[in-house]
Amino acid sequence: MRWMILCLALLAGSAQAELTYQLEPRQIAEDVWLVEGSTDNFGRDNGGFILNTGFIVTEYGVLVIDSGPSKRFGEALRAAIARVTDKPPILLILTHHHPDHALGNQAFSDVPIAALEGTRRLLAEQGEAMAENMYRLVGDWMRGTEVRLPTQTLEAGELDIGERRLRLLALSGHSGADLAIFDERSGVLFAGDLLFHQRALTTPGTPGLDVWLEDLARLQALPWQQIVPGHGPITRDAAPFVQMRDYLGWLDQVMRSGAERGAEMNELIRTPIPERFATISLSRYELIRSVSHLYPRYEHSVLQRIDQ
Amino acid sequence: MDWRGLLCLALFAWGWEARAAEQSDPVSSVMWDYYHQRLLDSAAFTFDKRVQVLVPPFAEDARQVPIQIDARSLGARVKRLLVWAELNPIAQVVDFQPGEQVLPFLALRIRVEQATPIRAAVLTEDGLWHVGSARVDAAGGGCTAPSVVRAEAGWEERFGQVLGRRFRLEDSDRLRLQVAHPMDNGLVGGIPEFFIEQAELRDASGQRLASLELFPSVSENPTLSFELREAQGAELWLRDNNGNEFQAAF
Ligand SMILES: [Zn+2]
Repeated sequence: MRWMILCLALLAGSAQAELTYQLEPRQIAEDVWLVEGSTDNFGRDNGGFILNTGFIVTEYGVLVIDSGPSKRFGEALRAAIARVTDKPPILLILTHHHPDHALGNQAFSDVPIAALEGTRRLLAEQGEAMAENMYRLVGDWMRGTEVRLPTQTLEAGELDIGERRLRLLALSGHSGADLAIFDERSGVLFAGDLLFHQRALTTPGTPGLDVWLEDLARLQALPWQQIVPGHGPITRDAAPFVQMRDYLGWLDQVMRSGAERGAEMNELIRTPIPERFATISLSRYELIRSVSHLYPRYEHSVLQRIDQ
Repeated sequence: MDWRGLLCLALFAWGWEARAAEQSDPVSSVMWDYYHQRLLDSAAFTFDKRVQVLVPPFAEDARQVPIQIDARSLGARVKRLLVWAELNPIAQVVDFQPGEQVLPFLALRIRVEQATPIRAAVLTEDGLWHVGSARVDAAGGGCTAPSVVRAEAGWEERFGQVLGRRFRLEDSDRLRLQVAHPMDNGLVGGIPEFFIEQAELRDASGQRLASLELFPSVSENPTLSFELREAQGAELWLRDNNGNEFQAAF
């Protein structure tokens, strides 16, 4: 019996030592690559690999978009890039400061890390707490992970890397500072978390669902050929925009009408999820979170001063 | 049957009886006996699903966890409603005494320090406590997190302001309100306890409709919802432990 326990312990030990992210870059356009994550929640089974990262190979080197949830992920991403090109990374761009997108920065400390000013500020403010939370959620995958702040500030406009021109959009609807990257040559739009597809959107830092809807309109107006959402499958059609607008509108309406009839948070989080959102993963979970983040604002807008 | 067989049987029977007498706790909390003794004076009780305790499955913001108690399906006159969070450093939440005109309903937000059972014990006129239970998961730290209110510019000017409104529901009027108050619980950064500890709902002529004792596990800028049986005028009176009084009219 004792040897069996010992065996099990040894097995568990070796499994523990082998936490590896299976990153398989997929070419989605000439010189444009995608590393696609699952649409699950953070977990010990996925190490936080629930997001889409990507990279563009230019004549000068590789431009990387988002570094992922951990140091280990960042390293795996570099290794994956090296498997498809011998050009080195020359720049890491962060779409926003959320932990699943920006905690792999350590693996890119030898190249400039660029982001919006707001992203730098938010990562400085919230990075430690978010990293702590990630340790709690995914465990050992995070080992050695520390917050690394961006070293360069990006602004809206054009960014030329050799022949390649990227259009940068400084938006805010998802996290307060969201960068969308449009590659003019391939027509690929890296939308960051302004777009979720088949995965419920998250709202912890949104300035408001109305702002988010305006951002979507600006993104959709770009001459994109292909869309890479922050989470969920990529498309060549407008499906993620349609789904986002529908979902944001529903979320807004649930809270707006709730506030007007005097609903409590506990009543709203039990709102039936419409059938048409059945394919979207984690919608109940994210509804509970969004009501916590946003309902107080909706409540405030219908309450009046009644003190005497 | 030898003596061992008899002993076995006796033990079995004893165990059976003990199990039948002891009600099974729907949230299997090790703290139940302690609070049963401390807050309910070990009085007669029953775990009762008709005392509905609504909480989210997890605390997205451990400083503002919404809880909602509804005991109207007991169909009995409720004298007192006690709420507590079993694993909180400050366990007690409220002691609510609704009068005839006020429904046994209450919604508010609390701080939780870790995952905890939430209880609502409702005393009916026959002297029996009906206990509703729920569990909320939490990463924690809600009781020891620094104040959000105190970090806001100009909070002193808003101090004591009451936002509120009356909502007509199917069979009742819901009164919802939020009071600007830091509700310091004495656990954060050396700031002493400073919290609203008493509230009364009164009718237009000043008669008491319900009274409420609050504990500093209630969130800062507390939100409260009551329900009245009928559409009648109501006023709310509040007092904090420093003697500040606030008044609002619905
Ligand atoms: Zn995000």
